[in-house]
Amino acid sequence: MQSTAAGRPKTSYLSMKKDNLRYSWEKAKRMKVCYLFLLPYAILFCAFFILPIVTSIYYSFTYYNILEPPRFIGFQNYINLVLQDEVFLTAVRNTFVIAVITGPVGYILSFLFAWFINELPRWLRTIAVVLFYAPSIAGNAYYIFSIIFRGDAYGYLNSFLMQFGLIDAPILWLLDPKYILPVIIVVILWMSMGTGFLSFVAGLQGVDRSLYEAGYVDGIRNRWQELYYITLPSMKPMLLFGAVMSITSAFNVCDVPRALAGYPSTDYAARTIVTHLFDYGFSRFEMGYASAIATVLFLVMILCNKAIQAMLRRVGT
Amino acid sequence: MSKQKVRHIEPPKTNDRADWLKYQAMLRGEFPEEQPKLNVKRFLIISLIVLAVLAAALIFANVRLAQIEEYNLAVAQSGTGEVDTSASTFIVIRVAAIFLMAVYGFYALITLLQPKRRKPNRSFWGDLGIYIMLALVAVAMAFPLVFSIASSLKPLDELFRFPPRVFPQHVTLDNFSDLITTMGQSFVPFLRYLTNTVFITFVGTFGHVVIASMAAFVLAKYDFPGGKTFFSIVVTALMFSGYVTGIPNYVFMSKLGMIDTYWAIILPAFAAPIGLFLMKQTMESLPTALIEAAHIDGAGEFRIFWSIVMPNVKPAWLTIIIFSVQNLWNTPASTVIYSENKKTLVYALQQIQAGGIARTGQAAAVTVIVMLVPITIFILSQSQILETMASSGLKD
Repeated sequence: MQSTAAGRPKTSYLSMKKDNLRYSWEKAKRMKVCYLFLLPYAILFCAFFILPIVTSIYYSFTYYNILEPPRFIGFQNYINLVLQDEVFLTAVRNTFVIAVITGPVGYILSFLFAWFINELPRWLRTIAVVLFYAPSIAGNAYYIFSIIFRGDAYGYLNSFLMQFGLIDAPILWLLDPKYILPVIIVVILWMSMGTGFLSFVAGLQGVDRSLYEAGYVDGIRNRWQELYYITLPSMKPMLLFGAVMSITSAFNVCDVPRALAGYPSTDYAARTIVTHLFDYGFSRFEMGYASAIATVLFLVMILCNKAIQAMLRRVGT
Repeated sequence: MSKQKVRHIEPPKTNDRADWLKYQAMLRGEFPEEQPKLNVKRFLIISLIVLAVLAAALIFANVRLAQIEEYNLAVAQSGTGEVDTSASTFIVIRVAAIFLMAVYGFYALITLLQPKRRKPNRSFWGDLGIYIMLALVAVAMAFPLVFSIASSLKPLDELFRFPPRVFPQHVTLDNFSDLITTMGQSFVPFLRYLTNTVFITFVGTFGHVVIASMAAFVLAKYDFPGGKTFFSIVVTALMFSGYVTGIPNYVFMSKLGMIDTYWAIILPAFAAPIGLFLMKQTMESLPTALIEAAHIDGAGEFRIFWSIVMPNVKPAWLTIIIFSVQNLWNTPASTVIYSENKKTLVYALQQIQAGGIARTGQAAAVTVIVMLVPITIFILSQSQILETMASSGLKD
């Protein structure tokens, strides 16, 4: 099946390129069955993942409210977004605060805990993996934080702090703009051991043992050196995968602030880019404007991913 | 670096086989003379005796303290007799017993947790610190989940108790039965929501596994023009959340007339990138020779896919089944479903949850019901999932 270019006459670069095209076409014709296998997935994938991105970019240059056909208005949506929409700027700030804290911290914690867990005996490792992974798959278990952080004296945190005399009046954790964002960050960190964490746990078990033995002979003396010189470089593929996953979860914060701080929240203190998008898309049906928000979010995520990939390439070298 | 103790492992100068075996063992990190073998059985018996003695002391101190308190109370009430002042001795005994129990318990745990042979480059204090930290973090991670379960079992007066307690004193299932009553009052029965969710989960997962595996098979095992590009697009799509694609999808669905049908949830789930990604990475590790051999024997592509490749990647399809089930089970799909009788279970439950402070107990019950399914599935299948995730890495 593996076709090679061997046996073709040597030619100049240009004609080789042309040759390559024809060659690919011949190959494609021969491997029709591959495309047949790919077809069902490719159609659905294009319809629900590629097409939306493309149309989203298109809609972002139009005024569109579903009832009337889209009307082209150029960059007006983007101009409004930056110059007129103060709530959007709040949302951008909040999203960045959340993403900058929960993204890297969640990512590093996922790796560190996966690494620590890896040293445990097998039965304990299983329990630990379940305990750490459970919050991220527990549906809307974050709802329970609205009881813990309830604003009256019956709220658990409030009454706990009052019993110890640390505060004398209950704090409105979820209504006071000062506290909303930190509370949300704590909850998101609690949920941050997701798919990336599982990938790390599995990857650590697959690191070649003989590398550690070789490192031991070569004079690696403690666990941190071992981590930096052996474990991290062999884990690079998993680290990249985990980075993609943590970027996705760090930027797409929506359900947690909506469930805890209300929608809309006090002073828009918990407004994120995605809740803003939700507001314009599904409450006001200004699809063009919402698409502009989605496009901005999408571009930011792609850029972040590229930056992290560039950073991870240097690890352990 | 030079301050640390360094073990120099030199190859033996003699040709003695035993020396060389010992040298190999040392390279593997085994130092027989430094690691006396732990007799687990004896250690457990000794621990049991020590803990039993301490527990007896604790119980004795507690009983005596209660007696003294009762006696003192009687003295204070009748006004006759002397006050017993020996209470402080027993308090000291109690505190000491608790302290010793904690210390010994921790020591026993650490000793039992020691791997059979100590790995090189691991210090005892480092291990100890990591165990303590892991234990603390694990408690913090588990607390909200335990707390939801505890809250769902509390009667009303304990939910609003001051000062509140974490664990219920009178366990009751009232919240769950109230939940069923509340659900029964809406004009769609509870069973209907459950059927909707089960239908969506089942169809969505089945289609996803078949379609994604077929695509993953050719992407992993055949080199054809466009395949690599397609896969790199899929990897980028791992980052597209339902929110970014939500609006155009909504418009697209409404053009197709699929708003307010199950297909609006199921069709996008068929093409979830994570399933294709994991499947492809796992299939890549299958030996190509296996497929070539089948080719020579005259099997067609579909035959190879169905009876050779698929049976060999069972952990992978179990994994993507579980991810898909988790995803579909937790989906409220509130933007594409409007009719009451088509709502998913989670959507209906979230509406109850949003009912405010009066429904605190029921909301906790909802949380427990929703979280139990994915967590149970994960516990049952975690070894297969981890096996698949081992090949989840992204090569750049």
